[in-house]
Amino acid sequence: MLEVSNIAKRFGDIVALDGVSLTVRPGELLGFLGPNGAGKSTTMRAIMGLIAIDAGSVTWKGAPITAESRRRFGYMPAERGMYPKMKVRDQIVYFARLAGLGKSDAAQSAERWMQRLDIAARADDEVQALSSGNQQRVQLAIALVHDPELLILDEPFSGLDPVAVENMKTILDEELQRGTAVLFSSHQLDLVTDISRDVVIVDHGRIVLEGDVRDIRDRAPFRYASIGFAEPCSWSPTVADAEVLDTAGRFVRLKVPAATAPAALLDDAGSAGRVVEFSFMPPDLSEVFLSAVSHPAVPAPADGHLHAAELHA
Amino acid sequence: MTGVRTILLVMSREVRQRLRSKGFFVFTALLCAGIITAGVLNRTLHSDSKPVYAVALAGDVPDGLADNLSTAAKALGITVRLSAAARADDVAAAVRSGQLDAVIDADHTRLISNRPPPATLAAVIDAAWRVAAARRAAAAAGLDPVQIAGVVAPPALTPAVLQLPAKKSDDVGRLVGTAAGVLLFVSINAFGGMVLTGVVEEKSTGVVEVLLSHVRAHQLLAGKVFGIGVVAMTQFCAAVAAGVIALRISGTTVPTAVWFGLPSALFWFVVGFVLYSTLFALAGSFVSRQEDAQGAAAPISMVFTAAYITMFALGANPSSTTTRVVSLLPPFAPLLMPLRIATGSASATEIIVAASLLLLATFAMLRLAGAVYARTLLHRGSRLKWGDALRMTSS
Repeated sequence: MLEVSNIAKRFGDIVALDGVSLTVRPGELLGFLGPNGAGKSTTMRAIMGLIAIDAGSVTWKGAPITAESRRRFGYMPAERGMYPKMKVRDQIVYFARLAGLGKSDAAQSAERWMQRLDIAARADDEVQALSSGNQQRVQLAIALVHDPELLILDEPFSGLDPVAVENMKTILDEELQRGTAVLFSSHQLDLVTDISRDVVIVDHGRIVLEGDVRDIRDRAPFRYASIGFAEPCSWSPTVADAEVLDTAGRFVRLKVPAATAPAALLDDAGSAGRVVEFSFMPPDLSEVFLSAVSHPAVPAPADGHLHAAELHA
Repeated sequence: MTGVRTILLVMSREVRQRLRSKGFFVFTALLCAGIITAGVLNRTLHSDSKPVYAVALAGDVPDGLADNLSTAAKALGITVRLSAAARADDVAAAVRSGQLDAVIDADHTRLISNRPPPATLAAVIDAAWRVAAARRAAAAAGLDPVQIAGVVAPPALTPAVLQLPAKKSDDVGRLVGTAAGVLLFVSINAFGGMVLTGVVEEKSTGVVEVLLSHVRAHQLLAGKVFGIGVVAMTQFCAAVAAGVIALRISGTTVPTAVWFGLPSALFWFVVGFVLYSTLFALAGSFVSRQEDAQGAAAPISMVFTAAYITMFALGANPSSTTTRVVSLLPPFAPLLMPLRIATGSASATEIIVAASLLLLATFAMLRLAGAVYARTLLHRGSRLKWGDALRMTSS
């Protein structure tokens, strides 16, 4: 089990981390979220021993992390880190051997991961000749090649196309099945909602939200409802404190208190016309996050986007 | 996993990556070819300066003249090729055409040549003739062989030289020692530069962050310096081997000091390389971009170049007190000691003191670098200064 307790770090006058704590158990996936500069990478670099923390502690299996235990970690930094002029296979084998694998084990494992990540055809190419998507796969292979017990992935989804994101999710699932503890970071809060159930959200070096994504969203004091009528009609909701956000043709979007009963709202709408679509959802993680940190100049959620997303949710 | 295994892994990556480059092979081949060519040229020049004369013996030649001639010729550094003729007139045409340099006409006690003979040849023939003729005259006067020997070959003077002129061997030693120094300078500059850019590459590509999750900073440092060192030494050994071949080919008399100096240059090369490359690696760890690398390494390059210039300035006088003192200092020893050893001017004590100081300094540098490197390697952004780096470690 990875336990980060109350770590703090300053860079000169800048407070990078101010009491961040998190726990990842074997077979568990924790999403570490927050905007750019929130302290995600700093926390991960502290876990990997790449920076010295000013206060707090980081332990693995109950003991401080040593160079030896770190060898059983897989790390994928946010800024990619590979030798540009080294061939893909050589590179993966090299890191496998540094992690302690024997010659033939390293070669076998590298071969397996190149197949698995669909880069076997590029095995003898220099890394610098690969597209950024393929370079990212090589980087992932380097993190996974020694079957680590703990995976620290800094922004593994950034720059990936939807197919690659799906592929990455499958691989992470398999790793979790194997009992690997996984910590990954992302600045795209809503992307991870269907990847990880447990999240820790940081901002300015502090934890602002944490727990089950559904619980976090459910704790919001309001819900978004979207009603699609068979034909355009004029409807004024009678539900208490309902706020009409948007009427476009036969669609109406509302913001209602969390206590509102969805059935009552549906009945109310049904009295005005035939309802063919209905959704009733808590706000997205990003909106919960924004209201939690109450950034002053927060733009309202992109209506059209939210609308479509909720209709299909 | 042991630290040694890790260092060996890092080393072998460095060696394999560097040996993959064609440039290395081309340069090494050109270097060796150049050195051997110098040897061949030297031989050609030397054999030109060693004259060969064709001399014919005609008539009733006294016994032992041929032996006397070759002995005298050898002593004066010329070669005399002899042929025989019944009468001097038979070979007159050959003398005129230049095929023969001289004819010794024993019957008429004449030395025939087309033009006045070269002084050395004339002296050799004169000395040989006088001894042989005296021997014949003495025999004709009825002296027995022992008496003859007492007359024509009295005991020679024993040489008792108060100050041996070491001039010739000193020159070869200085040449070899300077060549070793130049080679050392070029190698450390080229391969030290490789260490420098290698470290900056690891930082600028971010690969160092992944490396440090498996490897300690000092293992990374040692692996890189030793790995590139192996490559550099391969080239240096090839050059030294080419140098030995060149010396053999050139036919120069090589003093024993040089034969001792050449292999010992390897020691100075290895330790000097580790000392300077560790400094280059440290300088590399202070910067995050290749553009800043040369600037960070400037102080080291300056010291090293100063040592190189000193080698030429003091090399002319390898036994002076200044040279003796400066050559003991670790930054200068790798360049000056091979020269002093090759010229035979370094005493065993001086060699041992210089080697010990250099080893000590290198060991201390490795220890210090290991401690500094872990901090500076992960530093991002602007270039660190040497003072910053030391403060980072002590804090």
